[in-house]
Amino acid sequence: MRAFGYDIDELVIAHVLLAVVPVILGLVIALPLGWWAHRSAGARRVLVPLSGALYTVPSLALIVFIPVLLGTPILSPVNVGLTLTIYTVALLVRSVAEALDAVPATVTTAATAVGYRPAGLLFGVQLPLAVPVLTAGIRVASVSAFSLVTVGALVGIQSLGTLMTDGFQQDYTAMVATGIVGSVLLAFLFDALWLALGRTLSPWARAGAGV
Amino acid sequence: MIEFRDVGKRFADGTVGLESLSLTAREGEITVLVGPSGCGKTTSLRTVNRMVEPTSGAVLLAGRDVAQGDPAELRRGIGYVIQQAGLFPHRRVIDNVATVPVLQGLSRREARARAAEVLERVGLDDALAQRWPAQLSGGQQQRVGVARALAGDAPVLLMDEPFSAVDPVVRVELQDELLRLQADLGKTILFVTHDIDEAIRLGDRVAVLRVGGRLAQFAPPDELLAQPVDDFVSGFVGRDRGYRRLGFLPATALRLVDLPTRADANGDTAGPAVPGEWTVLLDGSERPAAWLGPDGARHDLGSVYVTDGDDAAADAAGTLRGALDAALSSPAGRGVAVDGAGRYRGGVDTDDVLALLDRSAPR
Ligand SMILES: Nc1ncnc2c1ncn2[C@@H]1O[C@H](COP(=O)(O)OP(=O)(O)OP(=O)(O)O)[C@@H](O)[C@H]1O
Ligand SMILES: [Mg+2]
Repeated sequence: MRAFGYDIDELVIAHVLLAVVPVILGLVIALPLGWWAHRSAGARRVLVPLSGALYTVPSLALIVFIPVLLGTPILSPVNVGLTLTIYTVALLVRSVAEALDAVPATVTTAATAVGYRPAGLLFGVQLPLAVPVLTAGIRVASVSAFSLVTVGALVGIQSLGTLMTDGFQQDYTAMVATGIVGSVLLAFLFDALWLALGRTLSPWARAGAGV
Repeated sequence: MIEFRDVGKRFADGTVGLESLSLTAREGEITVLVGPSGCGKTTSLRTVNRMVEPTSGAVLLAGRDVAQGDPAELRRGIGYVIQQAGLFPHRRVIDNVATVPVLQGLSRREARARAAEVLERVGLDDALAQRWPAQLSGGQQQRVGVARALAGDAPVLLMDEPFSAVDPVVRVELQDELLRLQADLGKTILFVTHDIDEAIRLGDRVAVLRVGGRLAQFAPPDELLAQPVDDFVSGFVGRDRGYRRLGFLPATALRLVDLPTRADANGDTAGPAVPGEWTVLLDGSERPAAWLGPDGARHDLGSVYVTDGDDAAADAAGTLRGALDAALSSPAGRGVAVDGAGRYRGGVDTDDVLALLDRSAPR
């Protein structure tokens, strides 16, 4: 599909990839860090405030600084992807730690008593039970990633944000509106997907409510 | 057999959980640890499966020091039941129970088959197997907890106040269930409670602990009630220990008396069998249904005295406590005696019971 002189499909795909890949990557990185913060009070004292501080760094600053630090080309989507990964990690470290904290002590005691080793306990019991809290964290990270992707357009990285920046320059309201509506719809769509995934992975979570 | 040899535990913060506990839980018996809160019951239980590592002494399981070998492996061979059941909320009932067999290396299908067997054993309906733990009552959850502990076929069970979070009626049910299971399975059970009644009902031997896991007395329940070694133990077993002890004394010399009986015809209006006397109404299978008063009105039976045998010819005696309860709770002034199958055997005369009590008063 083409409109306003752009291949919209291409923009949508770029937008989705730029938002979704960093969320998944960020989750993968946040899991061990959050687990560490859950296990060790010392690690938590460093990791939680540090990730909180990271989140306050303006996105544009990160997108501009990463090429300076890493030597990536200024127009590389990697800059945006890395920025969003950092934000996701910053958001999720705490989510992971708190999700693991929330697993009742009676359950972990029982798991230890039946003979789980630490790895089995984590993957077989603690993480599955952390899914509802984690899903909430991932949804926040995902929505914020979808909106932050558009910032990349300011430095020329293609996404639906491109319609906003270019439309703004050309004083073309319909184009700007298309960019906004499109990115909001995508954010909603993926929010619903994360929610559905979380529910599928935790059918037990609604059992207490008599479902 | 579980043997505690001078087991001591000093926690990292300096708290002494156990000073030096020496105690042997015999093979195939229920050994109960009872004592006030914080006396070290949970700590001593956990030294057995190494969820607590002792700082001195050793725990021997079937003659082997548990400190040797891999703790996770050790735990797979020891059933453990805790107060809130500790079921895995994300696994269906059947898979909760299948956990240990799976950890022991069985395929999921074999483990589920094993779990289904054990669920049936503990009296849980098949229909519950596919539920989530959150969809069970407290008593049912506790049964699943027991089933999970049994599923690994461990010869040893550790139970830490397993029934204290359920209401008293369900608790008695679960206790009966445990005794029934134990009669079949003959596990070596270490059972922790702070409820002396529970200790006395369940224990083959009861260890009363003071703070620091110091053993105050270790004896069979009737001995504990008859001869508490000191004020701490007698205070702990309570004022009414004399009455409780009756539950361990057979009413051997109790003669049953004849009572007037009559079939309990539906909606009948016939009067008492013997004018002016209380009559026992019997149902179609000879089981007492109610009292018929001299006034012609029906009255509750009260509690019945159950003799041990399950056929009318058997002469085995029930407990003195059962006889006394029957005599005192009957509106007729005499109790009704039944056999193990609930069939009418005779009457219990209050004076006879009191005379018997007189002769068997402790010391
Ligand atoms: N991890 C720990 N660190 C420090 N002290 C502990 C620890 N666990 C238990 N204690 C202490 O050891 C003592 C014995 O505790 P334990 O849990 O064995 O008591 P308990 O007899 O099971 O009590 P309750 O009936 O309340 O369950 C208590 O003073 C308790 O505070
Ligand atoms: Mg305890």
